[in-house]
Amino acid sequence: MKKILILLVLFPFALMHVNAQDFKPSNTQFMVRGYGHTGLNFYNVDGDKTSTFVGAAFSPIFLFKYNNKFIFESELEFELEGNKLNIGLEYADMMYVINNYITVRAGKFLLPFGTFMERLHPSWINRFSNKPLGFGHDGIAPSSDIGLEVRGAFPVGVSTLNYAVYVTNGPRLKTGDDEPDEAGMLLFVNYEDNNLNKAVGGRIGLLPFSNSSFEVGFSVYYAGNVGDTGSEFDGVNALLWAGDLSFVKQITPIRGIIDIKGQYNHSQIGDAVYNDPGDAARATYTFNNQSSAYYAQLGYRPSMSGNKILKNIELVTRYSTLQTPDGSLWEGNESEMSFGINYWLSWRSVIKANYHLKTKAVAGADNVDTQAFYLHWAIGL
Amino acid sequence: MKKLILILAIAISVPGIAIFLSGCEAQRSLAMQKSGAQLWAENCVRCHNIPSPSAYNDVDWETIGLHMRIRANLTAEQQQKIVDFLKSAN
Repeated sequence: MKKILILLVLFPFALMHVNAQDFKPSNTQFMVRGYGHTGLNFYNVDGDKTSTFVGAAFSPIFLFKYNNKFIFESELEFELEGNKLNIGLEYADMMYVINNYITVRAGKFLLPFGTFMERLHPSWINRFSNKPLGFGHDGIAPSSDIGLEVRGAFPVGVSTLNYAVYVTNGPRLKTGDDEPDEAGMLLFVNYEDNNLNKAVGGRIGLLPFSNSSFEVGFSVYYAGNVGDTGSEFDGVNALLWAGDLSFVKQITPIRGIIDIKGQYNHSQIGDAVYNDPGDAARATYTFNNQSSAYYAQLGYRPSMSGNKILKNIELVTRYSTLQTPDGSLWEGNESEMSFGINYWLSWRSVIKANYHLKTKAVAGADNVDTQAFYLHWAIGL
Repeated sequence: MKKLILILAIAISVPGIAIFLSGCEAQRSLAMQKSGAQLWAENCVRCHNIPSPSAYNDVDWETIGLHMRIRANLTAEQQQKIVDFLKSAN
């Protein structure tokens, strides 16, 4: 009887000990984050009106921390498009911290070409429901690629300097054999390299002030050969560069946060002669393959307001342009002016009401104006 | 080729500007003394809203801190101070 009583007294303590062991964190951690959005799109293209609810897009991000130096990241994209479910691999790479100043990444990673695609494109971070003209997967600049990268950051006095240099498979030149209208464009993700040449690039960023409110960056990306080995396009090169800036600061006199972002992309692809199956008069043609795109964005949120509703409202405006080469079958000159009112439900969940006016210049004809209104909800996980 | 040289020259000049801006010793020590809370407020907002410390647990913050250090180019010291603050405040 005495033994039973002792066991009964000790049992809760033994249970507590077991529970404490159960919840002891391990060095290895697995985490799922990500983001998603859904909403309503309304378009008016020169008087032709359409509206549709757009299917939810879901982008889970998997993080596997092996230890305090090694982490694996991967992002999948699930999106409904034309009654189909599209699944994409945005990135999947391993990252290893060598020391305080050097980290190595390998795999498919977001390229630090400017900051928009690497840091700002997720729907819960992007202040608008669409991307600026010329940015994104179909843009004139790379968003991700497969290769190896070295990056890091270190203080320089009161400033912080960050850098990234990488070598990747590089882009592939679209020759027009499959899609004549896209001859001369670059296809940036090469799962299998089309030649022995690799693209090299990098970005250097400077945060000159100790409060990190301002960052200016410069990126360059060069591929000595974007053509298929042995083809008539073998040896065509591409040089791209970008400048970016960011200023985010809570300013007491205006009782809120000012958020300014901008990026300029420039692309110059070497000369090449393309076939034009749609024009018998000119069997072949060439053009100066130069493109550019930029955006400038301004946001204000009265975060210091005493009003609970007002402090969660954000006013944003953005201007973006895209210029593609004259003489190409994809030549164009587009600009877009955007306005938005965002309401933040929490630090990572937002309702966005955006209005866009896009103007496309058409040679020898009137401009095509597209008005768009988006009402979207986005959330970060 | 001239363009490439110009681009490289600009790229090389950026660290020079950084060194030029780093002259003041008093400001330097001020930057070193920043707390995790200050760094959390100043750096997260560069891309997204400031997260609540209670949004994740200590273990998650370790993983997120390492991920953000690499993605957002934080220094090792900034990462450590921010994670320590988030763990102490959640």
